Amino acid sequence: MRLEKCWFCSSTVYPGHGIQFVRNDAKIFRFCRSKCHKNFKMKRNPRKVKWTKAYRRLNGKDMTQDSTFEFERKRNRPERYDRNLAENTLKAIKKIDKIRVAREERHHSKRMVGKKSKERKEAGVELEQGIHMIKAPSVLAQDQSLTLPKIKVKVSQAQSEKNQPMEE
Amino acid sequence: MAFFRNLGRSLMGGLGNNLSGLSSTSYEMTCSSFLSQLRTFIQMRTVLKVVDNSGAKKVMCIQALKGKKGARLGDTIVASVKEAMPNGKVKKGKVVYGVVVRAAMQRGRCDGSEVKFDDNAVVLVDKQGQPIGTRVFGPVPHELRKKKHVKILTLAEHIA
Repeated sequence: MRLEKCWFCSSTVYPGHGIQFVRNDAKIFRFCRSKCHKNFKMKRNPRKVKWTKAYRRLNGKDMTQDSTFEFERKRNRPERYDRNLAENTLKAIKKIDKIRVAREERHHSKRMVGKKSKERKEAGVELEQGIHMIKAPSVLAQDQSLTLPKIKVKVSQAQSEKNQPMEE
Repeated sequence: MAFFRNLGRSLMGGLGNNLSGLSSTSYEMTCSSFLSQLRTFIQMRTVLKVVDNSGAKKVMCIQALKGKKGARLGDTIVASVKEAMPNGKVKKGKVVYGVVVRAAMQRGRCDGSEVKFDDNAVVLVDKQGQPIGTRVFGPVPHELRKKKHVKILTLAEHIA
């Protein structure tokens, strides 16, 4: 049984799932679920909808070219059954999947380089601009630091005194 | 005083009702414009395109031979020819049999998925189920094999 790809979100359409639409020029559009079918009916472009694979590929969110994708390809000629070949394929699937996941992780980490420093910088700017909300300007003039002074509150002792009569 | 208050309330109530009514209708209208038209069975007075070279161009369904609600993809219907070519095998006004080869309403497949087409189309057949024309245009579903219309499948350009 062939596992097709959804036309809209490029996820796998398993047998018995989804709907397929045949246009009058015999082009077949397969959809994995009604969400994708509805988006197609609304004439949305999958490249412009953020949750689709097409968008993520186009905008560099996911890996685009990798040798592991070569294995998952549509072959029009059915392979002749060979026991050894089937065994090796089943072994290879696990290994290829492991490699693909590792590469994807690396791609993600490479993409996220510099995100933390950027976020820190943005937070710093926000603090600078909004400091008047937590510290009065007159106080700020005396003490230039942007952090609030630490206030120590003793809680543990008061609780233990209260709890003792309850236990008795 | 009380009368006035009552009047005011009823007026306000009426206004409120009107407002709510208006808003609901506008909401429904926007909804319907966003969603496509609801597709239904091939029933009496459904006009279908004829996709063979029998000479008829459009037929109107006058009876579905299967199904309580109407015919679906692959079912046979009785139809009357509404539009025909001037020198075809089939003349306008004749009553003919036809197999629905494309339906805009989705139909379940044997594996549980569904299939639907762009339009409602029919291939004219005689009472024995043999096609009248010698060509079939456009895609047809492979379910016709199950319905014993292998001839239509062999004539078809594309099988979906």
